[in-house]
Amino acid sequence: RLGKAPDWSTHRKPIFSVDIHPDGTKFATGGQGEDSGKVMIWNMAPVLREEDEKNEDVHKMLCQMDNHLACVNCVRWSNNGLYLASGGDDKLVMVWKRAAFIGPSTVFGSSSKLANVEQWRCVTILRNHTGDVMDVAWSPHDVWLASCSVDNTIVIWNARKFPEMVTCLRGHTGLVKGLTWDPVGKYVASQADDHSLKVWRTVDWQMEANITKPFNECGGTTHVLRLSWSPDGQYLVSAHAMNNSGPTAQIVERDGWKTNMDFVGHRKAVTVVKFNPKIFKKKQKNGSSNKPSCPYCCCAVGSKDRSLSVWLTSLKRPLVVIHDLFDKSIMDISWTLTGLGMLVCSMDGTVAYLDFSLDELGDPLSEEEKNSIHQNIYGKSMAITNTEAQLSTTIIENPEMLKYQQQRQTSTQTNSAPGTVGPESSAPKLNSVMNGESLEDIRKNLLKKQVETRTADGRRRITPLCIAQLDTGDFSPALFNSVPILPSGSSMSNQLTPHLSSDSSPGQPSSLGFRPSHDPMLTSPPANSLKALEDNNEGVKSTLLLTSASKIEPIKALDSRFTERSKATPGLTAAITSTAGLTALDRAKESSSTPAQKECKLKEDTSSDSEDKMASINKNLMYSKRKPELMIDGGEVVEKRKKGRPRKEKMTTSMVQSFTQIIPPSEQETRVSVPPSAVAALRLPTPSTQKAFSLQVSMEPSVFLEVENEVTVVAGSKLSQLRCSKDGRDWNTLLPSSVVTAAGSSDLIAVASEDRMLSVFSSCGRRLLPAIQLATPVSALHCTAHFVMVVTAGATLSVWDVQKQKALVRNESLQSILSGTDTSVSQSLLTQQGVPVVGLSNGKSFCFSSSLETWSLIADKADSLVQCADFRGCLSSHDAPVSSGPLAVMQGRYLNAGRLASRLSSTPHHMQQSMTLAFLENQLASALTLQSGQEYRYWLLIYSRFLVNEGSEHRLRELCKELLGPVHTSATTSWEPTTVGFRKRELLREVLPVIGENLRFQRLFTEYQDQLELLRNK
Amino acid sequence: MAKVQVLNVAVLDNPSPFRNPFQFEITFECMEDLPEDLEWKIIYVGSAESEEYDQILDSVLVGPVPAGRHMFVFQADAPNTGLIPESDAVGVTVVLITCTYRSQEFIRIGYYVNNEYTDPELRENPPIKPDYTQLQRNILASNPRVTRFHINWEGSAERMEDSENVDPSSNSMLPPSCLPGKAPPIGILPDNSMDCL
Repeated sequence: RLGKAPDWSTHRKPIFSVDIHPDGTKFATGGQGEDSGKVMIWNMAPVLREEDEKNEDVHKMLCQMDNHLACVNCVRWSNNGLYLASGGDDKLVMVWKRAAFIGPSTVFGSSSKLANVEQWRCVTILRNHTGDVMDVAWSPHDVWLASCSVDNTIVIWNARKFPEMVTCLRGHTGLVKGLTWDPVGKYVASQADDHSLKVWRTVDWQMEANITKPFNECGGTTHVLRLSWSPDGQYLVSAHAMNNSGPTAQIVERDGWKTNMDFVGHRKAVTVVKFNPKIFKKKQKNGSSNKPSCPYCCCAVGSKDRSLSVWLTSLKRPLVVIHDLFDKSIMDISWTLTGLGMLVCSMDGTVAYLDFSLDELGDPLSEEEKNSIHQNIYGKSMAITNTEAQLSTTIIENPEMLKYQQQRQTSTQTNSAPGTVGPESSAPKLNSVMNGESLEDIRKNLLKKQVETRTADGRRRITPLCIAQLDTGDFSPALFNSVPILPSGSSMSNQLTPHLSSDSSPGQPSSLGFRPSHDPMLTSPPANSLKALEDNNEGVKSTLLLTSASKIEPIKALDSRFTERSKATPGLTAAITSTAGLTALDRAKESSSTPAQKECKLKEDTSSDSEDKMASINKNLMYSKRKPELMIDGGEVVEKRKKGRPRKEKMTTSMVQSFTQIIPPSEQETRVSVPPSAVAALRLPTPSTQKAFSLQVSMEPSVFLEVENEVTVVAGSKLSQLRCSKDGRDWNTLLPSSVVTAAGSSDLIAVASEDRMLSVFSSCGRRLLPAIQLATPVSALHCTAHFVMVVTAGATLSVWDVQKQKALVRNESLQSILSGTDTSVSQSLLTQQGVPVVGLSNGKSFCFSSSLETWSLIADKADSLVQCADFRGCLSSHDAPVSSGPLAVMQGRYLNAGRLASRLSSTPHHMQQSMTLAFLENQLASALTLQSGQEYRYWLLIYSRFLVNEGSEHRLRELCKELLGPVHTSATTSWEPTTVGFRKRELLREVLPVIGENLRFQRLFTEYQDQLELLRNK
Repeated sequence: MAKVQVLNVAVLDNPSPFRNPFQFEITFECMEDLPEDLEWKIIYVGSAESEEYDQILDSVLVGPVPAGRHMFVFQADAPNTGLIPESDAVGVTVVLITCTYRSQEFIRIGYYVNNEYTDPELRENPPIKPDYTQLQRNILASNPRVTRFHINWEGSAERMEDSENVDPSSNSMLPPSCLPGKAPPIGILPDNSMDCL
């Protein structure tokens, strides 16, 4: 059903853009003003309901901004509704925010003189484009703002940190005239006059696809090429494309960017395509079978041929085509979030509202359903919900935001009759007191009170009275008076206003939308400033003022005098004066007795006519009117910040060598007499003595050990020779007993001999420790860096730090881990950090944590978590898997098996999720205990990516908190700034970009990013 | 966008006898602290025909201007009647308020002014030589015409050089014949007695 074209919301100049606020209560239009661009914000209620349109208490226009110096081509609300972005021919993008505590006022000097019920303030100006800005678009969740321009570029702005620029996308060779974001935020697409549609990735801001074929035939130009992405993300629909020399809207499939389908039927180029934000499913009719129907999308197409078509992707023919709705080309379309209403604007300066019924479009899916579709298609990580419900659960950290939210809540509560956006609801009444004076008092005495001095050269200098301080982008409410500043009314007219209002009907002030005549009574000042005495006193003056006001129209007769600079004749002026026959009373009566819109419209017509002429007068008044100067980009430092995942540093190869393992040469137990001990029951295999053996203990530098037992016999004792060659230099030493096993690292060499003596030498052959007497023969011996580890046949473990000449682990029994009867040690190793690891034949691996003084399980082959954990989605291509860390060595094979198994098993998702989470946390803890830095970092990143994908905010926050540590250090802080050789804050710096990948965590991201910055600056 | 937005200009003492000083209560908002003063001027257009008859009634510096919303009253003496063509004394003319920052004009606010005799007798038969004591000035306060100019707010070195060549006290767009608006010596004006009242 086609709604009425609300002609009161016309700019009377081309309207290039329209956008409905996410909350559906207002909409913005952008276009050409008189001598500037114009952005206007309108109340939605009168559009939706006829009774609200007729109700003069309901404001039509809420705000207008004419700060753009040239035509505004695009207006777009941010998804959260807090901001409005506008782009125009002045090459600028302006971002507007509502100033919550400033009451209604007018845009001073604007011709239409309508009071601004809401105050929208330009909070930032984005300058980079060198040509007209044609389209702007907020990314899902308002992470980025994209703008495109006739300078052939697209600029991506950091919407969390305006005016920071993220990147500038170059590649188009023609004017870029349309932008659209992929609903899951993976891509942004642009269409340009260069006969191409390009899709850009948001991960690296590179071009994903360049689609040209459907546009080859395109001739002529359209003002805009507003393309649109379907809400399910599956289709991208272009503006102006050609197929068989007929204008079409090309459908581009996300899958492979195929271009097989299009919307055909318009007679001229398609200027704008806009998908309905909802996904629909067929309306279930009573009695019909309840079989589930396939969800579909709805798309509106507007064309230069002035017609509008609405399509459902489930139908081959358009749902509806509306011809001759406008006199000129359609420029923009905006759907309400409910998906049932649509505003369309045209070059002809009108906006039309269409509303649909559920019967026509179908049943809209709920946000949850939509989200689950996203999850099904793109996986959980990409599925970003946009529901109010979710937003409401987030903590509002920004006080401004809180204010806004609260205010909105109260205003929606008080206005149970929706849409009555009156000054009361939009501007909280605040009693502003400045040193006990009201603003009115101050104004009365301003001239006397203001400080005026003379400068050295004798010039007057006035210190202005500050009536509101600019604080964090808004005005401090404590200082500001909500009493509306009158539209160019004097203090006298201020008092006069209530007088007139009392004369006229109470509904008078709200007739703003209709009346461009500039009576000061159009503002509704608070009744408390009304003083009966003043009424009488000012009565005469008011008449005079109104007499002058009534001359607006006669002055138009003087137009020629101004424009043509002809001679002015006093007689003419006199004549005019006499024609201005209306007295104030007459006028007041007249205006109070004009409830009919017709008459209002009539008035509007005449006055707007006169305004146009006034404008031309004004141009003359400016004498040699200056050409607007080019904006010189004033030293704005644009920080380029590439988004991307942290690059993993190349693993140091030294890890490899450190795990050169000595597999016990034989499983057979050497029967050596062992002193009885508590662990006597336990027997570990020991290597047998060989005549000679050699081994390479280190690759880089290459160190070879050669052992030759019983080389010589001196004085009845057999000596064994240990020969070592390091980088071609040899050294050798003699030992009194046969060497059973030897091990080495780049730093040291350790040998264990038959007499249970352990000798440690430096890499150059110096003896570093006196021979150590072991209780039982050596079962396994390892050297890593400056650590020596011994597992004895008596199932005890010792680790020494040779450098510090200190024991890290002292004769620790393996009894606790070798609980079963048939388990034995199958593998043992020592990490670079001196952490001993023991792998058992039952598939479990333990390390001994010297700080915890306990054995910790680090890997378990039989662990079902390992089998089912699925974190493939979290593996980043940038992170080379750590295959050489102790953790990987101990569990590597099982990990792969587990990942395979998970693919086969049909574990329910939530189970799998929990298992993966548990597994990843195990990994992290294990890596930490093993003090394996690289592995810890590797798993930390996977873990955080998993948390980000699964949306586990609490865990993420705790993780970030731990990594960040206390911002202020005190004596009592126990926080260690480093962990396993990494600075925790550096790790956080790596984790943050991962968090930033999910838009849902933008606040968490910002919070910690800011704190990191803060700490860095410290 | 301009760092300074004029939010409102209230015309005080209006309508008033012709010889009363002009009073404009100006409210403006500044996005950030301005390192330099704003310069405001009131220019009275003596004749619509020619810029020759423009008079700068006064010029004031306004500062310091921190970020925020400010207001001040700009008062300037009535125009020197001696410089107004007699034929243009009665009728509609224009008064302009301009503001410059770093010698660059960024806003120009124009008002129509209607000068007429209050006495119906005089209105019907105006004297050939205008009687300014009988004239009433009525500024059409409800209909300001505002023109905004794009300027360089940052004041780079280049800019400053440029501005050195411009005499800051005179508006480059006005002919040099304009009188500086600062309080003209009373002796020059023979019929200035209204001021004393």
